[in-house]
Amino acid sequence: MIKVRDFMTRDLTAVTEDAPLIEAAEILSLRELSGMPVVNKQNEVVGYISEKDIITSIFPEQVKIENPDVIGFGNLSQVVKKLNQVGEANVKDYMSKHASCVKEDTPAPDVAAIMLNKDLKRVPVIRNKRLVGIVDRSSLSRILLEEGSF
Amino acid sequence: MIITVTLNPAFDHILFLPELHLGKFNRVQSTIRMPGGKGVNVACSLAVLGEETVATGFLGGHGCSMFERTLRKIGVTTNFIYVDQEIRTDFFLIEEKKNRQSLVVEKGSSIELRYLNSFKSNFERLLSSAELVEIGGSLPKGVAPNFVKELVSLANKKKVKVVLNLPEKLLLECLSGTDLFIVYPDLRENKRMFGEDIYKPSARLNIAKELLKRGSEIVILKYGNLNYIVATKEEMWEGEIELPKSSVLIGVRDAMLAGFIHNYLAKNNVGEALKYALGSGRSAAKNIRNYPASKKEVEEFLLMAKVRKVS
Repeated sequence: MIKVRDFMTRDLTAVTEDAPLIEAAEILSLRELSGMPVVNKQNEVVGYISEKDIITSIFPEQVKIENPDVIGFGNLSQVVKKLNQVGEANVKDYMSKHASCVKEDTPAPDVAAIMLNKDLKRVPVIRNKRLVGIVDRSSLSRILLEEGSF
Repeated sequence: MIITVTLNPAFDHILFLPELHLGKFNRVQSTIRMPGGKGVNVACSLAVLGEETVATGFLGGHGCSMFERTLRKIGVTTNFIYVDQEIRTDFFLIEEKKNRQSLVVEKGSSIELRYLNSFKSNFERLLSSAELVEIGGSLPKGVAPNFVKELVSLANKKKVKVVLNLPEKLLLECLSGTDLFIVYPDLRENKRMFGEDIYKPSARLNIAKELLKRGSEIVILKYGNLNYIVATKEEMWEGEIELPKSSVLIGVRDAMLAGFIHNYLAKNNVGEALKYALGSGRSAAKNIRNYPASKKEVEEFLLMAKVRKVS
């Protein structure tokens, strides 16, 4: 059976929990990512920060944004300007603290189920809590297309 | 896990043509484009040899994702800091009729302080699960030589072995007050170190002794296409392997280093590691890439390597 290690993306792009939100915004924008893992000083995954979390942080609590995805990072300079107004906000203030992670030996159907059930675009892969890669929807669909089934 | 650091990576563009006519129109016969830079070459070679390797450094511009994707296909884990600059390109001109190879390199983009800080904190995180770090290549604009020394000190603090694969001037900056596992000076530009000519046997001995004195555990010196000496405080080895005349030499010296690291970490034997390293370099030369074709091919080529203990 195909396991996560067979198709995960071996990339460790992440941000630390103490990093300013602006840094996270810039990384996501430069890399054109929807979100990334948040790690501590030992590279252990402690959360997940998405474009959506950052967009939400820009607006005051009273303003409910129905669908933050539609705003996106199309204009990073505007986002940065707004983030400067938010102040010294850190990643840990806005990240999701319960990031769903999988291990390298997790079977592909299990990670597919997690992503579908929780509506996740990307899932960090960990070994002894440390980040070793990422599974995204495109790599999952590639496996599905190549293999036909798991 | 092994970390390789390439602060100034490049796309290597190899252009094959019968002969270059300066000042005239030239059409190339074929082209190879691949990720390059000293640390990147070492990372690719280590991954082919089966080591878990993370490549880090600075990347920027439109070519980044292709750069990283290519590395991941070879088996390297990527962890680059993205900057708002374009990655540089190095051009290798291979004139087949003339049996001549020329290299034209770009200087690289300028790195802002905030990216240097991000790199440092990312590097520290990587060190927490690393066994060895290899730092290779030149510096981009905006990065002072002292920055490399800082990286070495951080690795020393975490007891991670350090391999330096740097040009002489930069290497000298990192020698005092640091613990170095392997020192491998890049002397391609002037073929000299400490004012001594690398092609003279007595000079090689002096250079090796001086580098050992300055704190390196192992010194590797290259003085031909694939001619090496490896020295420790206890022993010195010489080795060579024959290369076909038309071999493309891009990344060969880095593949050699990767072979040495891979074998020495497993067996702790200088002579054997040198033999393996020569097989690795020879395979990369045949592969016309900056890494060996396969572990199997390295093991076949190492049988052709001639090594002997000098002292």
